[in-house]
Amino acid sequence: MRTILILIKKEFLQVFRNPLLISILVVAPLVQFVIFPFCADYEIKMLDIAFIDNDRSSISKDIINTFNSSGYFIPHGVLQSQSEAEEMMRHDKIDILIEIPARFEHDLYTGQPTQISSTANAINTVKAGIGTGYVQEVIGDYMRQFSERNKLPDQFGARNAEIKLSNVYWYNEQMNYKNLIVPGILVILVTLIGCYVTALNLVREKEIGTIEQVNVTPIRRWQFLIGKMIPFWILGMTEFIAGLFIMKIVFGITVQGSIPMLLGVTAIYLLVMLGLGFFISSVAENQLQAMFIVLFLFIVFVLLSGLFTPTEGMPDWAHKINYFNPMSFFMEVIKKVVLKGGDFLSVQKETIVLSVMAVVINTGAILSYRESSK
Amino acid sequence: MYSIVADQLTKQFGTFTAVDHISFQVKRGEIFGFLGANGAGKTTAIKMMSGLLLPTSGTATIAGYDILTQSKLIKKHIGYMSQRFSLYNDLTVFENMQLFGTIYKIPRKELKDRIYESLRSLDMEKQSGTLVSSIPLGWKQKLAFATAILHHPDIVFLDEPTSGVDPIVRREFWKLIYQTASQGVTILVTTHYMDEAEYCNRISIMSDGQMKLIGTPSELKEQMGVNSVDEVFVKFVNR
Repeated sequence: MRTILILIKKEFLQVFRNPLLISILVVAPLVQFVIFPFCADYEIKMLDIAFIDNDRSSISKDIINTFNSSGYFIPHGVLQSQSEAEEMMRHDKIDILIEIPARFEHDLYTGQPTQISSTANAINTVKAGIGTGYVQEVIGDYMRQFSERNKLPDQFGARNAEIKLSNVYWYNEQMNYKNLIVPGILVILVTLIGCYVTALNLVREKEIGTIEQVNVTPIRRWQFLIGKMIPFWILGMTEFIAGLFIMKIVFGITVQGSIPMLLGVTAIYLLVMLGLGFFISSVAENQLQAMFIVLFLFIVFVLLSGLFTPTEGMPDWAHKINYFNPMSFFMEVIKKVVLKGGDFLSVQKETIVLSVMAVVINTGAILSYRESSK
Repeated sequence: MYSIVADQLTKQFGTFTAVDHISFQVKRGEIFGFLGANGAGKTTAIKMMSGLLLPTSGTATIAGYDILTQSKLIKKHIGYMSQRFSLYNDLTVFENMQLFGTIYKIPRKELKDRIYESLRSLDMEKQSGTLVSSIPLGWKQKLAFATAILHHPDIVFLDEPTSGVDPIVRREFWKLIYQTASQGVTILVTTHYMDEAEYCNRISIMSDGQMKLIGTPSELKEQMGVNSVDEVFVKFVNR
């Protein structure tokens, strides 16, 4: 016990005397945490929109009103001419131009084909694409209501089905990417501390030879590893809790589920990552090798974890790899507990899987760490 | 009673034989020198005897314990100072000694006394709170030695303890070695400096993993018909 305590003390002394490590542990993550969510925001709001109304009927006015009140556009009014519209778009005053053709109302009621043209400023293709999606959605919505009111089922039914498809993709009032990205970054931070910092720390001792001095002592390998683990576990948990506060204060995201439960699962996840870090350090000869191994695993973990792309859309083999990806399980827990307020039952499976992973990988780490080599 | 008994100790790395069937005995309180060119197998032999490396074949008994089966017990009874300085540079002098002393399970109160006594004898009391990274190399080596004997081991392995150290510190260092040996501690030391070899009770010369010569410095000088260990070594190498 005294041995482990002195090892923990030693580790903390070293961490706090290493300004570079301190900045890696504290400053870098926090900066990342505050900047990254704003950059990784896919949402586009407040598109500038203007109209040309060649019909001037009650329906065309109705449609324009629907756009203006949808909350997704900043209306710039009804323009008089095509040239005025072009001028505005050239100067980036508007992103989308909606043109309603003459005799629109008449054609609609008599069942003749007619079409509203939507022109998007495609300098920013993402903005244009999303904007067009919004336009389709608004018109589709309007048309659906219109056909219900006027009993015009067939012709518009088909079109509505098509528009519904785009609805899933683009138009989601609830969709706030920060809600997903911010907790995701928290996961990345915890992973980095758990895996990266510990792996580098242990390999560094190997490189500079201090581990040899420890290995000639009667210390047991599990004592040594626990003495390494506890300090980094504490650092990781501290970082996670600090992250939760920042999430609340800066982004206004409150944990919907139970916080003690969340911390419990995080503690287990950290053990997995610490074990993985130790395992890597026993395989790697030097810090460079350790860095490459961690980086490789890290990228695979992140890409498969469902942070940037939903796991549902991944092919079958990716799902199979994900069974071995602790980050994807933890990400699932975060999503469920932080965003959806899930209870323990909802994350039971993930917790069990992570626990098994923790046991397996730490046993592996202890076995592969040798004080005397062959 | 022998402190170290090596019996056909052998280490192979792949097809390369680093240590080739060496056998020798070292008495308690003896200062035993390991001489040899770089790559002769000295460090490998020391690592096997201190439990850092398992032998390919053969065995050794260290302080009465077998290196193959009782390495945990051996570790309690030996001190080791590596070729590379391997205390923690980002800990202070005191913290390093406290760390290793605690790992060797020296009781808290006694540990403090031992550390201060040790620092007093090294004349390093003022450096107790200094980071090891900022003290000169010669002092670092003395500190490493003091740390290696803090738990009063039966045997101390010193792997080139004085390389890169100035002559004055080297002399002080040997004074420490003599002091320690006089208390009944067995010293096994490797060195490149032939003048240091003269200070040893007995020396052995290793080459290509084999122990070619073994005896007291005067025996070896007589045997080779020369006046210094330096000449013994040169003559041996050119042979």
